[in-house]
Amino acid sequence: MSDKLTTKLEILADAAKYDASCASGTAGKREAKAGGSGIGSLTGGTGICHSFTPDGRCVSLLKILMTNYCIYDCHYCINRKSSNVRRARFTVQEVVDLTINFYKRNYIEGLFLSSGIINTPDYTMESMVRIAKSLRLDHGFKGYIHLKTIPNASPELQEEAGLYADRLSINVEMPTQQSLNKYAPEKELGEITGAMSNLKNKIAEAKQSKSFSGKRPPRFAPGGQSTQMIIGADGSDDKIILGSSVDLYQKQKLRRVYYSAFSPIPDASLILPLKPAPLIREHRLYQADWLLRFYNFKLDEILQGTKDNMLSLDHDPKLAWALNNRHIFPIDLNKADKFLILRVPGIGAINANKIVSIRKFAHIAWVDLVKMRLPIEKIKPFVIVTDYKPALYLLEQEHLGLRMKRTEQLDLFSGAHLQNAS
Amino acid sequence: MKTITIQSIPGFEEWRYAARSCLHQGISPDQIIWSDHNGTHNDLFGDDLNIPLKNYNIKISKAFVEIAKVVICHHDTQKYALLYRVLWRIVHENKHLLNLKTDDDVMKLRTMSKAVYRDGYKITAFLRFREMNHDGHAQFIAWHEPEHYTLERVVPFFKKRFKNMNWSILTPYRAAYWDQNNIYFEDNPDPEQFPKDDNFEQYWLTYYANIFNPARLKKEAMLNQMPKKYWKNMPETKLIPDLLRTAEEKTRLMINASKNYK
Repeated sequence: MSDKLTTKLEILADAAKYDASCASGTAGKREAKAGGSGIGSLTGGTGICHSFTPDGRCVSLLKILMTNYCIYDCHYCINRKSSNVRRARFTVQEVVDLTINFYKRNYIEGLFLSSGIINTPDYTMESMVRIAKSLRLDHGFKGYIHLKTIPNASPELQEEAGLYADRLSINVEMPTQQSLNKYAPEKELGEITGAMSNLKNKIAEAKQSKSFSGKRPPRFAPGGQSTQMIIGADGSDDKIILGSSVDLYQKQKLRRVYYSAFSPIPDASLILPLKPAPLIREHRLYQADWLLRFYNFKLDEILQGTKDNMLSLDHDPKLAWALNNRHIFPIDLNKADKFLILRVPGIGAINANKIVSIRKFAHIAWVDLVKMRLPIEKIKPFVIVTDYKPALYLLEQEHLGLRMKRTEQLDLFSGAHLQNAS
Repeated sequence: MKTITIQSIPGFEEWRYAARSCLHQGISPDQIIWSDHNGTHNDLFGDDLNIPLKNYNIKISKAFVEIAKVVICHHDTQKYALLYRVLWRIVHENKHLLNLKTDDDVMKLRTMSKAVYRDGYKITAFLRFREMNHDGHAQFIAWHEPEHYTLERVVPFFKKRFKNMNWSILTPYRAAYWDQNNIYFEDNPDPEQFPKDDNFEQYWLTYYANIFNPARLKKEAMLNQMPKKYWKNMPETKLIPDLLRTAEEKTRLMINASKNYK
């Protein structure tokens, strides 16, 4: 045990905890060859959570900063130049050793490395690439590697990073240039999206099975790219945030946008709010993001009826939409298209599939809904089954939203709503 | 009444043989008492089930066989009777029974298979190796207490991932040993083989304590995913009480530090 290494790990893990992403899946399957010294595998699933911390988050990767020294002065960032946090810097070898030894003990799926910027962006990026390269080439490491790339490092370095990393990400941090100007004066939105777009092209190129010359292009970040936005530090409303997510999903083909509720940091800049942003807002944004990506919701449907373009904190976005579109309900679960079943508040993808499977062979009755453990109070006004039809007044009553708010709160206290943000 | 004792663990082949024989002879589910190796019943299996199976031509869906192989790993001995009852009903009542997701037997079957899947997943997630030097070679040894008989299910995962390492996984009912070429099993292994310490574990504890964000306490979410029954063999969990107790104060200190910032 080296005390020096322990201190570095304390500082550089602490500095990395504000990054929400810990995903380690979606890069396909692979494993080390037998007979060599190689180690590791990817199972092809969503990646394994090897532990959970008391903040409810999954520990899947060794998530650290290479260094928290930084030449930039972004206000929301604990590592900004003007902050007087303790500083530390890992050597390339130290990060490699920690990763391999953690992996061998089955603590982690791999490494998620970001860094403050030291000397120049290229200098920093080059050291990060050396870590990934050493893991892959010196140790035959087949586990997961996520590199947070430095947006204004040279394209050559970004490309080299893609050869060794499974996922690359660049944090947009703030949804608009105005917010960046105020909170991260050295960051340019154009530069960030430019770098994303460059990576997007490389990823797409590597996905083609063969190029025109007949050769398969080298592997490049098979897990795609992701980004993170900080919620509640600036004044951006949910429309601006989700709008910018939609843009990133469509134009930059991102795999994931992470939302991180601003959390107070030690030694924070005075222009930041002192109070943490409500975690429930972050949760609602994830729910809305989910509806946009997997439930065929459009952004304006999600924003319909919102106050000041902010998602309701009382109702999840699907319920809020349903309350605004009561004329569509009730929906007959024995007849409706799956598309419509998915619009019923409280029925998710898994249960929609179950309903469709059962009704091929039997009629859906009320008892089936109970057995599926659907949130009965929530779905009651919205569905028809063979032996149940909601009384019309249920949908018409003014206080339906209020009643729903109470059921929702019960859910919240049970902790059942907590999706893993990873 | 017939009593059938399944001796092996998890015992799929044994159960299948017995179930086929009973089905062939038209013995209904309520005529059989099933028990496992711990059962107090004498083995009345006898010769009467030992009939040639060549005339047997009832086709059983692959889906049933798949789920039966999973459910048979459950620790609850009711699994044998449940599996046979579902099999009987598939043959005599409804061949689509497994699609009736809200049928009571089917739901029980799914609940049991889910529990086994989850238990297997939790081994791949929560098992912790300790390294020890064995004749100049590194040996990685883990002690894990699965809730069900799931060791065999996860061996392929560990073989793939740690192919070029020597490792041992010890569980109360069985151990698996991998020497980079072959896998060996041993029943009721000696838990004393598990090393008392490891030279990297302290770094892992350091990491765990520092990646936690005290401003975002969500204890229930943690417990949903990592119930206390697993804590015993996970070294980092001994930090949790302290992390929980000091979270509020750490958050307050962070905010106060912000207020003092000039």
